[in-house]
Amino acid sequence: MRQEHPYSGPLSHWLYGIGIGLALFTGFGQMPIYKRYYLTDIPGLGWAADFYTTASLHYLAVALVLGLLAWRIGLYLRGVRIRWLWGPGTAWGWILFALLAASGLMKVLRNLGLYLPPPFIVTIDLVHMGSAMALMFTGLGVILSRRRRREKPL
Amino acid sequence: MKFSPTRRQLLKGGLAAAAGLAASGIPRPRSAGAAVGEPLCTVLDISRCIGCEQCVEACREQWQETVPDPVEPMPKPFPSRVPIEDWSKKKDVSDRLTPYNWLYVEHLSLTHKGEEVEVNIPRRCMHCLNPPCVDLCPFGASRVEKNGIVRIDPDICLGGAKCRKVCPWHIPQRQSGLGIYLDIMPSYAGNGVMFKCHRCTPLVAQGKLPRCIEVCPEQIQSIGPRDQQVKKAVALAKQKAKADGAGEERWRDYLYGLFENGGTNTIYVSAIPFHEINRALKADRAQWAQESGIKAPRRAKRAALAGRPLMGPVADTMAEVGNLTWALALAPVAGLAAGLGRLAAGKGGRKGGER
Repeated sequence: MRQEHPYSGPLSHWLYGIGIGLALFTGFGQMPIYKRYYLTDIPGLGWAADFYTTASLHYLAVALVLGLLAWRIGLYLRGVRIRWLWGPGTAWGWILFALLAASGLMKVLRNLGLYLPPPFIVTIDLVHMGSAMALMFTGLGVILSRRRRREKPL
Repeated sequence: MKFSPTRRQLLKGGLAAAAGLAASGIPRPRSAGAAVGEPLCTVLDISRCIGCEQCVEACREQWQETVPDPVEPMPKPFPSRVPIEDWSKKKDVSDRLTPYNWLYVEHLSLTHKGEEVEVNIPRRCMHCLNPPCVDLCPFGASRVEKNGIVRIDPDICLGGAKCRKVCPWHIPQRQSGLGIYLDIMPSYAGNGVMFKCHRCTPLVAQGKLPRCIEVCPEQIQSIGPRDQQVKKAVALAKQKAKADGAGEERWRDYLYGLFENGGTNTIYVSAIPFHEINRALKADRAQWAQESGIKAPRRAKRAALAGRPLMGPVADTMAEVGNLTWALALAPVAGLAAGLGRLAAGKGGRKGGER
């Protein structure tokens, strides 16, 4: 693994990986599929059957990812130029993150009790889920193609 | 048996309902603010409920036929642990919530201050102010309307029953074998459609009363703008508390639904403190579980509670998730500050970071 700057080292890389992994796991766990498909029967994963726990963990994981991305933007604004080994590195990646953030923000507002028109809720739910799936498959593609990842991380 | 009560279809009830509605002391939803999308709240004075179940009958007459029959044969869910819930052959069940029965009346006998008293409680969806069934539905099928009605869109619902799990009262009920999941992957995802009270959404939209309110011979229930209704409920609860010898300051004990789950648009007022009612409900469920013949105690308990909600205190289920909004709001600010601030100027700082 190439390291070009202390900031782009393993700590931030791992934190990002944990944040994204947990956000995806708890996000998909909002669909009632983990219990159905025995995932919650795996020792240590019983908590994944509790939708309030997964929702709370989803918030925390997203906070971690947002914090890391904001840190990266802060560094960029300071003029620090780093070739990051994690996070969006292409316009496609940033678009997906923007879609996730915008639809996620709407969902957060709704969870606070703000009224949103029902058809709009359906739209943001589908956008959130669709962009998360696109992010997951893109990320998997990048991970599986290590050569490509070295050339240009997502 | 507790869950098969004798219906007291009172002739008096029917006549009184017609007369009462004609005289109409009940505010109409439209005049009460429904037209401008103001949240509507119902207040139920259960000390006046005679348990005639006319509300149940009216609800069933109006809405039961809107719930389609499932396809035959139903797709076999995979894996086999996924239960098929079929109430289509048990449409006559009216002593609990089912997909074909969105309202039932709890008939309770309990001892209050040394006297045997009978309490009848119409039970249905509480229509929470911030409903977890709406917030946590992954597909937006469960929704809250501007007028405070919480309803499930049967055209979108996949029947995963998450709404029932996250509902503090486990109100929505599943009918397998119908709905959009049949067109997707019927064996592998989804399991039907969830149904519950939508507080007569189509009727309220026309400025009419929900059926349960319209037909009640004792007019135990009223509907109107939330602010007015809350004031009314609190005043009534104070009266009840005073009459019960508890003192006006104990009025909260005589209310249910105003504070539960962060607030709901269904407020019950009783002449008996709700903790006593809940204790009686729990005892009733325990007895039912014992008599059910189900050997596994946990399964028996679950069966006793299914479709028959309790009336215990309920904390705001979305509060924890709501509190974490602070983490979401602060994390980018902290990250940006760290990037722009001292952390960036430290080890490896700006100079070292430049390519």
